[in-house]
Amino acid sequence: MGDFPLPRIKDFIHTVVPFDTLREEDLTRAVSRMEIAYFPRGEVIVRSGDAPAQFLHIIKSGSVKVTLTDDAGNEMLIDLRGEGDCFGAVSLLQGVKALFDVTAREDVIAFLLPGEYFRRLVETYPTFKRHFSFSLARNIQASRRANQAPGSLLTGGQSLGLDAILGRSLVSELMTTSVLACAPVTPVKAAARRMTKQRVGSIIVEDQNGLPLGIITDTDLRVRVLAGGLDADTPVTEVMSQPMRTIHTKAYAFEAMLEMIRHRVHHLGVTEGERLVGVISDHDLRVVTGAAPVGVVRDVDKISSVDELELIHQRLDPVLEMLLRLGGSAEYMLELATEFNDSLITKILELSELEMEHEGLGRAPVPYAWLALGSAGRREQALRTCQMNGLIFANLPEDRWRKTQGWFLTLAKRAVERLTQAGFPTCPDGLMANQPGWCLSEAGWQDTFLRLIEEKDICVMPHSGPLFDFRCVHAEMDFCEPLRQIIHRAQEGNRQFLARLGRLAPGERPPLGFLREFVVDKAGQYQARLDLKLSGLQPVVRVARVLAMEQGLKSTSTLDRLAELARRGILNERFAGDLREAFSFITLLRIARHLESRAAGREHDSQLDPASLSAVQRKMLKESFAVISQLQEFVEQRYRAQMIA
Amino acid sequence: MNWGLARLRNKVLQLRLGGRSLDPLARENLHALEGLRLDSPAREHNFVVMDLETTGLDPTRDRVVSVGAFRLVQGRVRLGEVFSELCNPGRDIPVESIKVHAIVPDMIKDARPAWEVFEDFLAFIGTDILVAHYAAFDIYILNLAMKARTGFGLQNLVLDTVEMCRALLLRPDPYGVYGDFRKCGLDQLAEEYGLEVPERHTALGDAMTTALIFQRFLQRMEQDGEGSLRDLMRIGSMSF
Repeated sequence: MGDFPLPRIKDFIHTVVPFDTLREEDLTRAVSRMEIAYFPRGEVIVRSGDAPAQFLHIIKSGSVKVTLTDDAGNEMLIDLRGEGDCFGAVSLLQGVKALFDVTAREDVIAFLLPGEYFRRLVETYPTFKRHFSFSLARNIQASRRANQAPGSLLTGGQSLGLDAILGRSLVSELMTTSVLACAPVTPVKAAARRMTKQRVGSIIVEDQNGLPLGIITDTDLRVRVLAGGLDADTPVTEVMSQPMRTIHTKAYAFEAMLEMIRHRVHHLGVTEGERLVGVISDHDLRVVTGAAPVGVVRDVDKISSVDELELIHQRLDPVLEMLLRLGGSAEYMLELATEFNDSLITKILELSELEMEHEGLGRAPVPYAWLALGSAGRREQALRTCQMNGLIFANLPEDRWRKTQGWFLTLAKRAVERLTQAGFPTCPDGLMANQPGWCLSEAGWQDTFLRLIEEKDICVMPHSGPLFDFRCVHAEMDFCEPLRQIIHRAQEGNRQFLARLGRLAPGERPPLGFLREFVVDKAGQYQARLDLKLSGLQPVVRVARVLAMEQGLKSTSTLDRLAELARRGILNERFAGDLREAFSFITLLRIARHLESRAAGREHDSQLDPASLSAVQRKMLKESFAVISQLQEFVEQRYRAQMIA
Repeated sequence: MNWGLARLRNKVLQLRLGGRSLDPLARENLHALEGLRLDSPAREHNFVVMDLETTGLDPTRDRVVSVGAFRLVQGRVRLGEVFSELCNPGRDIPVESIKVHAIVPDMIKDARPAWEVFEDFLAFIGTDILVAHYAAFDIYILNLAMKARTGFGLQNLVLDTVEMCRALLLRPDPYGVYGDFRKCGLDQLAEEYGLEVPERHTALGDAMTTALIFQRFLQRMEQDGEGSLRDLMRIGSMSF
């Protein structure tokens, strides 16, 4: 029996990465060492904490989810794997206990390759070694010993080991246990002295029962005490950050990371029950991750000259990439990117104002705000897509108007230029604050919006949509809320406007058939590509916008709008949930594509080649498109009815 | 045939053969039932899932052209423990059967005669529990070979996936009025479970499909709390 008697099985294994690189005889040998196992839907195939794996699992059909469960019983999705994907490699290679739960999402048939033979392949084939990236984990450990931040490894395209490290490391392993604590009445001077003596970066303020009230860090001392000109005898309670965010000892390192991002803090108290047993800082995490997601937003604040702008965006990408790999939600990523971009534009405006003052052009003549429009306005600009912005300033008498606009146009011109420098290309249709038409007083903007609402030209309308997603950044006065109210009143008096916008909203139909065919004809050549933005995100954005305007919602972000629409009963709650999922999934996919093409030095477009997706991703994309197409039908019905009424 | 009957027949046979000297294969098979514990988990036993392709459906006249089998250990199909061989039936191959298994005379002209192939196949089976779809047919032919070789029939336990299907999937039908049994065909079951059928109507391909179906049945019984060898014998024993 020279050849393996079941060619189809061998053919299948030959399509699995990295088995596709095996020499013929090794492939035959590998296949004849395999066993076929069946796991019914819902079965937990691997339980975290189980003995080290015996087999590498290769999924033949069905899909599994890889999850972590925290102490509170919350399940966290790490990954989905489907046809042709593997699991169990890390545990096999490192001989450690299973790190995650692996559960069958559907009935699963898997090929099991015994660990011993798998390890031999990893030793013989560099492709195996690279793919399963065992070396990364060792590198990180080594560099940790050498006390070097392993930052560059993060972008090396090897994810498994890093996931494992962050997923496996418990907070208790990374935290600092030498916790300093002091009473609320302690003077700042005494607290600072103890911190210096013990060489720690923080001190906890406790009440008489030992419960943490707040925390003082090096930064607090510098910013609030020194820079704030406070007396050294001020009690610690006046400068501490509170409440102190805490996390349990048994939480995983990346949960701590997400907690820090969520609350924008650098330190978390680590508790066991009620008791405080340690402190974990973003520096502790940086040691294992190499990038500091928490610090990335604050890095922007530290910029002191315009020359530093050019490098700044290089800090955001690795963090997004890491979040992506750790299964961070789209919401987090958009939130983080928005926070980053907002700090950036604020910084740019501050620097530009300062510059103008030095040049003798004086300060801003009246209060103003930067208007983020389009995706920036919706808090969805995770990628550096083209700029869309405006500037709004307080009303003032006619005779001063021209000069004032001149000053703001100079400011806006510099700001737009610097945003370009920071990586945001200019907008081809000129929708930017440096154009006289988009640098207006409050009254000017009101006129503009009222004209847009009266506009009947069907060609103009689709372009005006993103304008209605405006949001004020770096606002010295709240210009946006009054403006929103005026718009809402105007559109109430003109139902035709929403009806027209509603009918335009559905846009292109998602290419369901395209994907379906694709799944069938896996081997075939497909030149066609898929536009994630045009047929995936845009319809959802537009529909959410028109419904939000109809309801007079304040929020501009699509995910928030959908949630709010469900609360108001406009959308069925489950449907809205599905839509949010679909929107998040496509957003994540788009961010991933973008980072990939950036890493490869390619120009980014939102075109996607379905062949580059895994089976599970294709399936989820298909499900997402199905939901979106339902939404399109829904909105078509709704506004057709309104027209008749 | 249930467990009690199999045991009884085996005891009688052992008595009858008494002190006669047997070759190793016959001796091993004679003691196939020893050490089997009815309350042990079914999954712990080894199974050989087999299929034969023949020149026709009359076991008294037709001959085997191909043998395929896999071994299941711990409920998993071992791709390395495979038996797959064509055999020379020693007669012409009817066109009707070629349409089914696509084995043409040219392919088997260098194949070994069936009795030689069976010699090896019986050794491959050893004392493992046999599993086949419509087992009676395959066992009849296998028994002929065994009897010719040792003077007695196979002593191994035999399971029929058709019986298991009827017991596990169909509604009770003692008078055979529903005609549901058609749902227990290999193709129907493969479709029911969404199995991609590899090389259907080759002995090895069908043995694989049967093995994957048997795997599901085993799993299903365990889920229902019927995972012992006793349960398996009650539900899946081949009927004559």
